[in-house]
Amino acid sequence: MVHILYIEDEKDIGKWVTQNLKEKGYQVKWMQSGEGIDQYISTVDIVILDVMLPGLDGFSIGKRIKRENKDLPILMLSARTAVEDKLEGLSFADDYLTKPFHPDELAARIEVLLRRFNKNDNILQLQHLTIHTKDLQIVNQETGEEIQLTGKQYYLFQYFLRHLNQILTKEQLYEGVWGEPYIEGDKTLMVHIRYLREKIEKDPANPTIIETIRGIGYRVKK
Amino acid sequence: MKFLRSLLAKYMLIVVTAIFLTQIVFVIYALIMFGADSIISPEDSLNPNVIEEKWNDEASKIQNVSEETIQKHFKKWMQQYPAASMFWVDGNGNLRTQFDVKEELPLKWTATSTAHFIKERYGGDPFTVIAFVGKDKSQGFIVFEIPRNQLKPPDGQKYGSVLLSLTIGMILLFILASFLFFKGIRKRLLNLQKAMEVRDVNGLPIQVDVKKNDEIGQLEQTFNQMVFELRESKQREQEEEQLRRELIANLSHDLRTPLTKIRAQTYFIAKEELSQEGNQAIKSMEDSIDHIDRLIENLMSYTLLMASKYKFEPKEIDVVRFVKESIASWYSLFEKEGFEIDVELHPFEKNKWMIDPLWMGRILDNLFQNVLRHAKSGRYIGVKTESTKEYDAFVISDRGKGMKNGSNEKGAGIGLSIVDMMVKGMELDWDMKSSEQGTIIKIKRYKVGRSEKTF
Repeated sequence: MVHILYIEDEKDIGKWVTQNLKEKGYQVKWMQSGEGIDQYISTVDIVILDVMLPGLDGFSIGKRIKRENKDLPILMLSARTAVEDKLEGLSFADDYLTKPFHPDELAARIEVLLRRFNKNDNILQLQHLTIHTKDLQIVNQETGEEIQLTGKQYYLFQYFLRHLNQILTKEQLYEGVWGEPYIEGDKTLMVHIRYLREKIEKDPANPTIIETIRGIGYRVKK
Repeated sequence: MKFLRSLLAKYMLIVVTAIFLTQIVFVIYALIMFGADSIISPEDSLNPNVIEEKWNDEASKIQNVSEETIQKHFKKWMQQYPAASMFWVDGNGNLRTQFDVKEELPLKWTATSTAHFIKERYGGDPFTVIAFVGKDKSQGFIVFEIPRNQLKPPDGQKYGSVLLSLTIGMILLFILASFLFFKGIRKRLLNLQKAMEVRDVNGLPIQVDVKKNDEIGQLEQTFNQMVFELRESKQREQEEEQLRRELIANLSHDLRTPLTKIRAQTYFIAKEELSQEGNQAIKSMEDSIDHIDRLIENLMSYTLLMASKYKFEPKEIDVVRFVKESIASWYSLFEKEGFEIDVELHPFEKNKWMIDPLWMGRILDNLFQNVLRHAKSGRYIGVKTESTKEYDAFVISDRGKGMKNGSNEKGAGIGLSIVDMMVKGMELDWDMKSSEQGTIIKIKRYKVGRSEKTF
């Protein structure tokens, strides 16, 4: 079970978010200030932080947590929407969500962060594929066979899964996987996507797992 | 005291000194000229005045006038003045003794010839002295002649050239003093100008050192005062800006917190058993919360933009890629609302635009938001590129009912005002065509910019 440490001084909002997240299956520890959080830090998977807090502000708390725990994702949740605030927040935090937010969006962002930090070994069901996200073991449910991906295909698929439901442009994919700037007209990415589809799609000619979004890029949707 | 330190006073001093010194030179000259005779030393044997006095004196002292004594006298003089010539005319007008006389002299001297001789020689060359011999004037006269070039020049002439050179010297000295004086001023003014052009990291001038208390010193002090005031006002401005930002940030925060609380409350209400109407009300409340949220954001941005306090940091950006990524982030929202999403982005001739990515993101967000909220009925959004001879453009189109007939939701206005200010702030252009068939918005970048003049 995913443990969330949630720091929020507004009682109404705190109660609401806590209840909502609990309903979604998370275990939530809600605190009203940064005091005494140290005892929980080692046991949690993600921290959600408000900025305006009594005593030490959220930025300072977040920076301290991040300095000591690099692998602990931090999501800032604040009513401060100025660009300067967002920039300061994102200088250490992994995401910044502004109030008033929709609880579903908060949950979605938590999921993204957990995926990015490999915090939950989720078993992801993508149509006929069962995927263990931590080690990216892919099993074709219909045949019961494990699908082996070669180097670049593996990284490409992993990149898609990390950005589940997000549309990725060719440039983003190429730069994310190859680590080099994309040059207009380069066919390398398309070739690799074709190979990947041949391995994972039921019908590679009509792909449904890796969708082509016309004019923009590709998407793997849950 | 102040006047004495001024440049004016200094220059006046130079002028007065020059005039004073010139006057002194003239006075000294006059003294020398008029007192010259008394100053002459008797030993000066080449001085014509001395010769004349001595010749007269000695001639009057000759006793027993005879050829012999005269010759003896002449010989003695000859030793002292080898270039001289001398002769004696006796009381009867006969030319008697002559020494080294080059010209023809009349043998018999009459009153006429004597007068003629005197007239001829007066002030001429050779220098001539005529003296009567002995005490009575019946013994005739002796004449002493010497070419003037053998003598010392007369005193007046000598002191005249001294005066001339002194005067010229004075004028040169005055010119030099003036030159140095103005050169000094010029140098200080140039240094001051250079110092005035120096800027610190904030682009403000730096105070200069004040060394003297004259007019330039006062100018420097005034300049320093100005710099001080400039710094003060800049600081005040920064403080005000900081205050304004803080105020807006706090206001925005204070408005959003209760808004979030309302959302929390609706959540708890929604958990109750509600009628369909109740559920509808909750849904509408949530929409309103989103709407107010966006309005607050736009209002804050608008306020900052109006006061030109919205940070603008342009960078070279691949704009096609930027727009592609922006529509990608909006894709699922449009998809959820059942929009047909038509994206056709082709590279321009020049993909790199000098824009602020935050501003551009804001523009696109506002435009997409408007389509999502006000053109829902069309179920279509097109994002395309368009290139003509004059411009490259992004075209965002929808099939809603148009801006006028528009949607039942108001509030597009302020969003578009922000788009307008930001587009123009980045030296781009935009236009909008809205009809009942839909709205087409183009964000254009002119190839030959209107701001760049064609020569």
